[in-house]
Amino acid sequence: MVVGGGIGGIQAALDLADSGFYVYLVEKSSSIGGKMSQLDKTFPTNDCSMCILSPKLVECGNHLNIEILTLSEIESVAGEEGDFHVRLIQHPRYIDVDKCIACGTCAEKCPKKLADDYNTGLMKRRAVYIRYPQAVPLKYVVDKENCIYFEKGKCRACEKFCPADAIDFDQKEIERTIDVGAIILACGFQPYDPAISDSYQYGRSPNVVTSLEFERILSASGPYQGHLVRPSDAREPKKIAWLQCVGSRNTRIGNKGYCSSVCCTYAIKQAIVAKEHSDGLLDTAVFYIDIRTHGKDFEKFFNRAKGEMGVRFEKSRINSILPGRDEGNLEITYLNGEGKVAKEDFDMVVLSVGLDIPQESIDLAQKMGIELNHYNFVRTGSFDPLQTSRPGIFVCGAFQGPRDIPETVIQASGSAAAASSLLSGQRHTLTKEKEYPEEVDVTGKEPRIGLFVCHCGTNIAGVIDVTEVTEYASKLPYVLVAEENLFTCSQDTQVKIKENIREHQLNRVVVVSCSTRTHEPLFQNTIREAGLNPYLLSMANIRDQDSWVHQSNKAGATEKAKDLVRMAVASAAKLSPLYRTKLPVVKKVLIVGGGIAGMTAALNAAGQGFEVILVEIEKELGGFARNIQRTLQGDDVREYVANLIEAVNHHEKVEVLTEATLAGFSGTKGNFKTELSVGPTMHHREIAHGALVIATGASEYRPKEYLYGEHESVRTQVELENMLSTEGEKIKGWKNVVMIQCVGSRNNANPNCSRVCCQQAVKNAISLKEINPEANVFVLHKDIRTYGFAEDYYRKAREIGVHFMRYDEHEDPIVERADGKIHVTFMDLALAREITLESDQVILSTGVVAGNTEDLASKLKVPLTSEQFFLEAHVKLRPVDTQSDGIFVCGMAHSPKTIDESISQAMAASARACRLLSQDWIDVGGIVARVDPELCASCLVCVRACPYEVPFINDEGVSEIDISSCQGCGVCAAECPAKAIDLLHFEDTQILAQISALLEAS
Amino acid sequence: MRLTYPDSIRIIRLPCTGKIDVIHMMEAFRKGADGVYVAGCLEGECHYLAGNLRAKKKVEYTRKLLDEIGIEGERIEMYGIAASDGPRFAEVAKEMHEKIMDLGPSPVKRVVRKGVPS
Amino acid sequence: MIVGERKPFDEIVGFVRDCKKILIAGCNECVTVCCAGGKKEVGILSSALKMAFSKEGKDLEVKEVTLERQCDPEYVQQLSEYYDQYDAIVSMACGVGVQELAMSYQDKLVFPALNTNFMGASQGQGVWEERCQGCGACVLGRTGGLCPIARCAKSLLNGPCGGSMNGKCEISKDVDCVWQLIIDRLTGLNQLQMLEDIFPVKDWSCAGHGGPRKVVREDLKS
Repeated sequence: MVVGGGIGGIQAALDLADSGFYVYLVEKSSSIGGKMSQLDKTFPTNDCSMCILSPKLVECGNHLNIEILTLSEIESVAGEEGDFHVRLIQHPRYIDVDKCIACGTCAEKCPKKLADDYNTGLMKRRAVYIRYPQAVPLKYVVDKENCIYFEKGKCRACEKFCPADAIDFDQKEIERTIDVGAIILACGFQPYDPAISDSYQYGRSPNVVTSLEFERILSASGPYQGHLVRPSDAREPKKIAWLQCVGSRNTRIGNKGYCSSVCCTYAIKQAIVAKEHSDGLLDTAVFYIDIRTHGKDFEKFFNRAKGEMGVRFEKSRINSILPGRDEGNLEITYLNGEGKVAKEDFDMVVLSVGLDIPQESIDLAQKMGIELNHYNFVRTGSFDPLQTSRPGIFVCGAFQGPRDIPETVIQASGSAAAASSLLSGQRHTLTKEKEYPEEVDVTGKEPRIGLFVCHCGTNIAGVIDVTEVTEYASKLPYVLVAEENLFTCSQDTQVKIKENIREHQLNRVVVVSCSTRTHEPLFQNTIREAGLNPYLLSMANIRDQDSWVHQSNKAGATEKAKDLVRMAVASAAKLSPLYRTKLPVVKKVLIVGGGIAGMTAALNAAGQGFEVILVEIEKELGGFARNIQRTLQGDDVREYVANLIEAVNHHEKVEVLTEATLAGFSGTKGNFKTELSVGPTMHHREIAHGALVIATGASEYRPKEYLYGEHESVRTQVELENMLSTEGEKIKGWKNVVMIQCVGSRNNANPNCSRVCCQQAVKNAISLKEINPEANVFVLHKDIRTYGFAEDYYRKAREIGVHFMRYDEHEDPIVERADGKIHVTFMDLALAREITLESDQVILSTGVVAGNTEDLASKLKVPLTSEQFFLEAHVKLRPVDTQSDGIFVCGMAHSPKTIDESISQAMAASARACRLLSQDWIDVGGIVARVDPELCASCLVCVRACPYEVPFINDEGVSEIDISSCQGCGVCAAECPAKAIDLLHFEDTQILAQISALLEAS
Repeated sequence: MRLTYPDSIRIIRLPCTGKIDVIHMMEAFRKGADGVYVAGCLEGECHYLAGNLRAKKKVEYTRKLLDEIGIEGERIEMYGIAASDGPRFAEVAKEMHEKIMDLGPSPVKRVVRKGVPS
Repeated sequence: MIVGERKPFDEIVGFVRDCKKILIAGCNECVTVCCAGGKKEVGILSSALKMAFSKEGKDLEVKEVTLERQCDPEYVQQLSEYYDQYDAIVSMACGVGVQELAMSYQDKLVFPALNTNFMGASQGQGVWEERCQGCGACVLGRTGGLCPIARCAKSLLNGPCGGSMNGKCEISKDVDCVWQLIIDRLTGLNQLQMLEDIFPVKDWSCAGHGGPRKVVREDLKS
């Protein structure tokens, strides 16, 4: 059972259901989607949040092995790990979900209007409503609290007008007891409510909004249809301020001592998006304490905001926010970076509110007997980040600690891995299998095309005249049906498409909406459910390629949309069905890298019942963690690593190969073949496996600067940490210790933040003060990035007298020898003057740099980031998948991270790998190259051109291309001098038909 | 990122630029396109290893052939754009649009518009 | 295989300038393998010619067909049903194919789209080198399997000339001196003594110097 239907719960449910388990997804509101559904864009790529979430919602809603229980709350959990009995209450919807067609008549007729909580109260909704247009399940709900009938005993307007007879006021609360083997808590967070404090003008001025409210203001489906205006007078703001750390890093406002981790980056995102909304004329200022852009590639995002986008960043302390000179404006008085008082007027103020745990989650934890930490987040261990205090109950996402979407998705997959391991004996015992109707044979039949044009809310319809396009499309050759929809990706539209296919015997479908990249699988599934081969779908992208990029040219955009539609229809007419074949899956995973991440993934996959080959390049397992003594929380890393090594070496399903390197790699997901060179003798081994996990870790930056290697008293944090346990006496003699942050990070050579060094410095600074309270410890930094609960230790360090001083990021400190001591000179930003510290010891907080990844990446054909870390398939929603199916990445090989984060990600990688291995068969084929043996001249051109060495000349003397190895790039088809090869679904006739359609009618 | 670029551009999707063939580009010009550009991965970063390098050579071959026919070879171009680099995509679109605006309509198109059937 | 390459475009346009309808015939043998005249090249030439005509405000109708082989009359006959609807045939085969078409269709103009270069071999993708000139009296048995007729600029039979430098021919640094290759190979085979026999003056009559050649197999003749 997964509790919470946000992105974390959805991911956990999907991973489990795809791995052979039946999942109950419990959601207290009327639909799944959580906070992510309310966001406008996601950092650092500024992808549309709903656009990437929506396919997951639909997948979840359509999944045979996920039962979504909306309006449900858990009452009690009896039993134990493997055998829980969950009693829950399902509140009545007052709508018969089997009858509701989501036409919206009920809401139209409902006389009651009230503030819409989905739109953070900025819009009105009715007492019968859906939370948002893409909601899953897409069924209306009666809000009992606000319904006139329930209040006064009469009205029932909705009932009277409902064309489907779906309103049912007699529905009662249902109590259910469900038996489950494991529970995952994915209850998420609530935004901090700034109304608790009166100092922000929140609630008094409508132009002071929370960041979530601002997301709705920016959103195309929000109160202003995506036009950036301020609430008081619907005027476009000229100046907007963001106030950071509202409800975070503050122990005086009620136990909010932690950093919420996400607000800095989301504020940067909002500032960039706001500027884009207003053609860059908008003045945006972010008032901050420290900018914490510690995520993968976030620092570059920050630099872009600061640089080319011109977002202002004011290091400051806010004194007051008061009504400004002009009506509706706000005046912010603050102490600036140099400690001087400044005043500024803004049209709008956005409060970057922190992540808070709602009371109902606290109550739920109590009902379940789960321990919470001092901030009411679920208590977990340093090495067990997903395990709650009650065995069999796991946690993921913001309920475990403040975190962003990718980290939530990682933990969600990780918790699914933990649950799968626990229940591996029960895999496939309760799941159902999907059966598609038999495919209609379309060979030789004249095309009958159905075409569906999407408004995408206002994303498309706000720019393109959708009705005109639909009308135009209806007259194109072979088009029998042309319809427009508000959201073509919504569940009800899928039903409509299927009905149309049956009613009009359609044999091709064209969806005119957005990107095939995100939405093709959804529509393919839909037409398949109606008996069409999934490849009989063609899409025209009139959003990403049109309405989004030609916003100011509505007529041009509409004309372009017609062209794109004409091309898609021409291509559709040429489509033919493609078939796939089943190949058995080799139920073994190969893990490259034997550090904490690799070993964790190995143990989990083995625990899930799969064979594991763990490949380590060094003589010993353990990886970089062998250099670390303790975690920030004080847990013993050495002991943990030793236990892990022991467990891995003794697990019967894990084979450990040390001093092993990858010599060759081939195959496709489910059927890889890896050649290894093993041991000191480098003997050759060939291993067949179904999945591969990259866990090769990263390296510590070796400084060339600051006298490192030249002066004995200059060392790295890792070197210091090793001394702390063994040379306490020597350390007692140190009077002045200077730590320098961001050595090898956040500079031109490595523009990213290394994420772990601030915590490391705080950890070691506290240790130094504990060994010798008299010592002066100075930490010279750009920003201190102790995100999450690590903020507690930063506070502790300051309390026990560690000095944190900010240096100018454009001017690195100077470290010089001086009479046996070392002088460290830097520009102190708070004092606005140069300071020289005489120190006994200089400790360098060295960054994390990628290991030697290039060779492995090229062998595996997996792309790297510009900093040579492995690149995930999607930054937000596929954080452990790579672009190559069946290959996953975790730990520091993905990006710098702490041990608990590496463990979570390793679990996630194992979940994704085991999801694949739990299938008995995988489908191959589809978009692959096909040789026409009649035309083949056996010229060998394809054999020579294929980058994957797939084609060969067979016994019949013609070229043959193995469909399970073909990657579908089409190079052979382009090169073939006899035109004997076509890339299916991208056949020459289809490409040429598009060219003709585009150019001949214009 | 929704960066604006000229609305003169229509995209034909291929799985990899390695799939592009001389005939596709030739037919586009023959049927009246004023310009054609192939947008692939950055050199050395082809998802399919070297498809973009093959595409580049095909673009160059087509350019020579166009020159032989008497159509300005500058009307065809190959660009490497990282998948994540929206701004570069928009910049390239503008660059190509401006280049074609300077060259004016394709000599083929002038005739096609006069009503010569294809 | 026979290696050819497309003629300059202007020359081909010149052939068909006054035509309204043409037939372009490819060949699915050697010229497909050497990427000069297969189905793909037929399509490109067709498109290019139509474009060139359009540019001049003229219309050109093109029929594209690729025969299995243009050097066999049975395949060539496949055009007989419709060739007369066209003003001319452009052959993308080697010179053999062009002539077979010309002789089969006496009433039709036939033009070559390729220059036929040589009999050669692929040296990887996109590179072909000459290997044989069809001299009719093969010497390879005495030269280590490497041909001095085709691969020596002077077709010398008794060792290299004075222009052989560091293993390269004096005509170009990119051309191997075949005699160097022959000597190296025979040395490796321990057969260098083979070169001690002097080649007599070569009889070039069977190399075409005695007029067009013909091969007849009486046992196969029908």
